[in-house]
Amino acid sequence: MDQKLYKKVLKLLLIIVVTVLFFFPIYWIVTMAFKPFPEWTAAGGKIYWFPNHPTLDNFRAIFSQKLEMSPISGTAIRPIINSLVVSVIGTCIAMVVGIFAAYGISRYKAGGSLPFMLLQLRMFPPIAIIIPIMIMWAFLHMTDTWYGLSLIYGVVTLPFSVWLMKTFFDDIPHELDEAAIVDGCSNIGAFFKVVMPLAKGGIASTALFVFILNWSDFLIALILTDRKWTTIPVHISKLQSALVGALYGPKAALGLIALIPPVFFGILIQKYLVRGLTFGAIKK
Amino acid sequence: MDAARFGFLMILPALVMLLFIVIFPLLASIYLSLTKWSPLTGGGTRWFQAYQFWGWLSNYWNIIRDPDFLMALFRTFIIVIVVVPVEFFIGLVLAFLFRENFPGKKIFHSILLMPMMIVPAVAGFIFYMIFQGQGPINAVLSKVFFHDVSILWLQGNISAMIAIMIADIWQWSPFMFLILLSGIMALPEDQINAALILGASGWQRFRMVILPLLKPVIVISLIFRGMEAVKIFDSIWLMTAGGPGTATESISVYMYKHGFKYLQWSWVAAGGVIVLIIITLISMQALKPIKEREEQSA
Amino acid sequence: MADIVLDKLVKRFGKQTAVDRLSLEINDRQFIAILGPSGCGKTTTMNMISGLLKPDSGSVIFNGKVMNNIPPGKRGVGFMFQNYAVFTYLNVYDNIAFGLKIRKLPPDEIDREVREVARLLQIHHLLSMMASKLSINDMQKVALARSMITKPQIFLLDEPLSNLDAALRNVMRAELKKIQQELGQTTVYVTHDQVEAMSLADKIAVMNFAVLQQYDTPHNIYNHPKNLFVAHFIGSPTINFMNGVYKNGEFVLEDFNRGTISIGGGSRKNFDKQLKGENVVLGVRPEHMKIGERGGDAGNLRAEVVSFEPLGSKTIVYMHPDANPGVILKSTMDSDYKPKIGEVKSLSFEEKNLYLFDRESTDLVFRFGS
Repeated sequence: MDQKLYKKVLKLLLIIVVTVLFFFPIYWIVTMAFKPFPEWTAAGGKIYWFPNHPTLDNFRAIFSQKLEMSPISGTAIRPIINSLVVSVIGTCIAMVVGIFAAYGISRYKAGGSLPFMLLQLRMFPPIAIIIPIMIMWAFLHMTDTWYGLSLIYGVVTLPFSVWLMKTFFDDIPHELDEAAIVDGCSNIGAFFKVVMPLAKGGIASTALFVFILNWSDFLIALILTDRKWTTIPVHISKLQSALVGALYGPKAALGLIALIPPVFFGILIQKYLVRGLTFGAIKK
Repeated sequence: MDAARFGFLMILPALVMLLFIVIFPLLASIYLSLTKWSPLTGGGTRWFQAYQFWGWLSNYWNIIRDPDFLMALFRTFIIVIVVVPVEFFIGLVLAFLFRENFPGKKIFHSILLMPMMIVPAVAGFIFYMIFQGQGPINAVLSKVFFHDVSILWLQGNISAMIAIMIADIWQWSPFMFLILLSGIMALPEDQINAALILGASGWQRFRMVILPLLKPVIVISLIFRGMEAVKIFDSIWLMTAGGPGTATESISVYMYKHGFKYLQWSWVAAGGVIVLIIITLISMQALKPIKEREEQSA
Repeated sequence: MADIVLDKLVKRFGKQTAVDRLSLEINDRQFIAILGPSGCGKTTTMNMISGLLKPDSGSVIFNGKVMNNIPPGKRGVGFMFQNYAVFTYLNVYDNIAFGLKIRKLPPDEIDREVREVARLLQIHHLLSMMASKLSINDMQKVALARSMITKPQIFLLDEPLSNLDAALRNVMRAELKKIQQELGQTTVYVTHDQVEAMSLADKIAVMNFAVLQQYDTPHNIYNHPKNLFVAHFIGSPTINFMNGVYKNGEFVLEDFNRGTISIGGGSRKNFDKQLKGENVVLGVRPEHMKIGERGGDAGNLRAEVVSFEPLGSKTIVYMHPDANPGVILKSTMDSDYKPKIGEVKSLSFEEKNLYLFDRESTDLVFRFGS
């Protein structure tokens, strides 16, 4: 009896230690967001593990029109809106195109190797094809626009929406569609009236998953946007100050704001995370 | 409308998108890579006229001999070879720890998943802060070693690489944990019990029954993690921008720098094609197990 | 030598008691069956014998040695799972060899033993096939071979035949019995199929709701069931129960209009005092319930034919007593007997075939003809 309890306690201790280690960076950014300037770096070797004088100054700083310490017009309102707009629209594009394609693949085995080509697409480093796209976009005057960026987001997350939705459609027995068609429904009718309603949960989860991916993008936004449509990650990377150097506080504040949607949605769709991350290869 | 046509119509939008936004730029990239064009020499975005600067395979020839390019490939390789197994190991240990219930399991589970959901660029920034000369890492090390530790992590060639690897391990071990845990929870208890009754010790059960049963999940987790690890960019850019010098340039960072700092577009196009070829070869091998599974269940 | 003693085993899951103070003695080389409906505690008992579960109290004793703290791998038992649990990632050869590989036997010896067992069970032509790709019938043989090869002294089988198709089930039943007699292992066999238990076991332990109901030979369980549950569970078709009242030396059966049966004084002595109340249940097995024959001691019982099943070797007739259409009585008649549905027939049976149960306690009070 003693030996079993001893093992259990040891296990729990290990879990606690690991969890603390993994939580620490998150703790660091949360506390940094509320630290006043003197507490950002350890002056004279003293580290502030917890803000002595917690303040909202950093948040004010990122929203002020002119960051007193920075040459860029500081307000982060625009990037936040941009991130939202672009992520939502990119998600919509990926979902609409993806749902139709997924249905075709699931029910009609359309496209042959298309699904695997999509997987291979995910394997390419985006940098490899982004330059011609950027040139194309520049030519079409689509750089630094919401539609230019959203479209790319739609394409880049298309593999996820297709594969994920395909697995959700596969879960719905195809006898149901066939029954509807036998009853006189058209092919597309069966899709909208029978399958889509049943796949509601899957659609919502896939959409949230794709949204998180779009929201988290950095490289593509870095290349395809300039001033008007920068997203949050790009804005964070640009917050520098000639006087102060790295603006820990404001960056942390903005970073914290950026963290909230993915963490929140991620916990919401916890059940489907494994399916999403493995393109449906593993369905719990 | 017959089935085949309907199916085709369903995938048509996706095909169109791929054609214009992937295939076409891909071909354009190959075209560019065969020229010596760059906006500095060719005047803005009039890339149709890039053929005026035709270079055949000179870009390829030069880039293969560029030590920076080769080092970037090598560094990326090193990063992947180190972080993926470490993440796998941590994920596996955690997954086994989470096999049985214990108080607060759900909360610990949620916390352990968080690193994965942090925006990678922001994660890069967090570790940028943490690895500062007077940051928390050095503070903790100082306490542990009873000696003032002030390593300038992000300014040393090797220490910067280590810092980047630690950041990646932090962010993606939960990924492996999540996937391996789902595999472990799906283990057929009967087979493990059968082995137990046949006299297998804990280690024998692990090696001879549990691991083989987990193989498919392990393979998938390694493939998908490896696939993403190769593209590493965001965290590196926010932590070191490839520096000091080029000490932490992964292949993506290399191409970004050469594309957007040095504006060597055709050069980068060639680099891109090479990388694409390498990855296509690897991915065709790596995706085989997944393809087989799909065909089996079909 | 391998005898098993279960001493007041108790196992609870949360608030549910799965096994309630089970005590059983199994002698060396005996083949006993644990029989009962789903959820009665038989698999839990099995798991405690094998060591997969630890009892909350009570002991599992092999050859006089308490096994509670000894892990399953060291108890010298062989186990067959209901779903066979063959190692899906190994081929048949490696499946069978597993137990010997664990014991680190030399490869040539392992090879010899594996082929011998495979030939015995007639699966030697499948040795290189992946275990997951076998038919269910072959999978079962592989599972059997795998557990046999370590020559365990005690053999535990958890409903091993329930997934097989009917034809093979009969064949495998005979095979199992033959193997057990040849190898002489003490065998505990869990099943919910009373035909299996009756045909295979030396003794049957009948369980219901975590409690041992009766532990006896098949013959005794059939003819002297301890209570209503055992009487009903054993026997196919199930025994007929008729509610009645015992008054003044007569049974008045409530379900019949003229359901009075007089009992001779000689028999009455046996249960007059034991009958605690007046409410009784009379049991008659279908093969003793005759339709329309003259004689018998059943008085003037009438019943209406509801349906019948011509089974080839016999015909089962379903009827309801004339005063209670809610009760169904069964009678086993000759194969050429063809009743008409809706006909009212008279029922008869002999006194010596009666089982008398106390309706409140459900216990068997007297078995006529014993």
